[in-house]
Amino acid sequence: MHWRKLLRVLHRDIGYIAAGLTIIYAISGIAVNHIQDWNPNYKIEKSTIILDSLPKNATKDEIVVYVLKAINEKGEVKNTYRSSPNELEIFVEGNTILVNYLTKEVKQEKVNSRFFLKETNDLHLNKPKGLWTYIADIFAVALLFLAISGLFLIKGKNGIKGRGWWLTLIGFGIPLLFWLYYL
Amino acid sequence: MKRFVLFLLLSVVFIFNSHSQEGVKYGKKLVLKEKTQISELFKNPKKYVGKTVQVEGLIVKVCEKRGCWIDIVSDKEFEKIRLKVDDGVIVFPMEEKGKKIIAEGVFEALVYTKEDLIEQGEHMAKEYGTKFDPKTITKGKTEYRLKGLGAVVN
Repeated sequence: MHWRKLLRVLHRDIGYIAAGLTIIYAISGIAVNHIQDWNPNYKIEKSTIILDSLPKNATKDEIVVYVLKAINEKGEVKNTYRSSPNELEIFVEGNTILVNYLTKEVKQEKVNSRFFLKETNDLHLNKPKGLWTYIADIFAVALLFLAISGLFLIKGKNGIKGRGWWLTLIGFGIPLLFWLYYL
Repeated sequence: MKRFVLFLLLSVVFIFNSHSQEGVKYGKKLVLKEKTQISELFKNPKKYVGKTVQVEGLIVKVCEKRGCWIDIVSDKEFEKIRLKVDDGVIVFPMEEKGKKIIAEGVFEALVYTKEDLIEQGEHMAKEYGTKFDPKTITKGKTEYRLKGLGAVVN
């Protein structure tokens, strides 16, 4: 088989395999790139209400039951914690409730993970570690192969000896300019 | 080709099912055999600065955006310690809030000037959309924290 034909076959098949991972990394890349402006993993809703009253001389457990009923929170209580003499934090699946005994203020912080986006971010940032590290390494090598093989797929005036050369030069030039300007 | 894809998917499912369920592990494996109480660290900080310790407690706060720190409650009332990890090396998801953790890390003393604290307060207020009054900062302080190495959350 001619080397260019073999290159095309490999470029095509490795390209098919890399498509899914490329999409995941691209979506996550955009999401994480703007982390200063938003939370790419979670949607956090914060709210505050003031209760009319809190039971007097009640135990911590009684307060928890009372507050959860008052805010209509039916999730399972994971734990509770007294953050100060006048405050109680209640941890429910997906919700953190802060109760102030003095002001009767109840602050809620509801956390929902962003569907699909969180999963892609976890993979992009190698949260699973272990086996995923090697998969990501193989993917990186595959991308390297796709980039280099892509340069030599076509011959003629649109190939690397013609138009392709100038476009490739632009591709290398962009990061080089930023590197010279910022670093 | 269909058989190959099926084999690949089954292998992945097998690998994920064989994953340990005894708590979620983060970072390096825990190596210390003895735990140190968080209250003890605050009581005798000079004794522990620079040393690796193992602590246990409840996670009450998690870094919202990067999962790069958590606050662990002390055995002493109203006291907690921050466990900071290198960005991306360990990422604590927000779901871990309210769960028990056993963590190992190096006990550190961070000395902040008044200016440092004002800058820090303004940054936190911006990040969490809260109010911050620089006038509340009158002098610098030394903050103690753990540089996280590894942890198990249950």
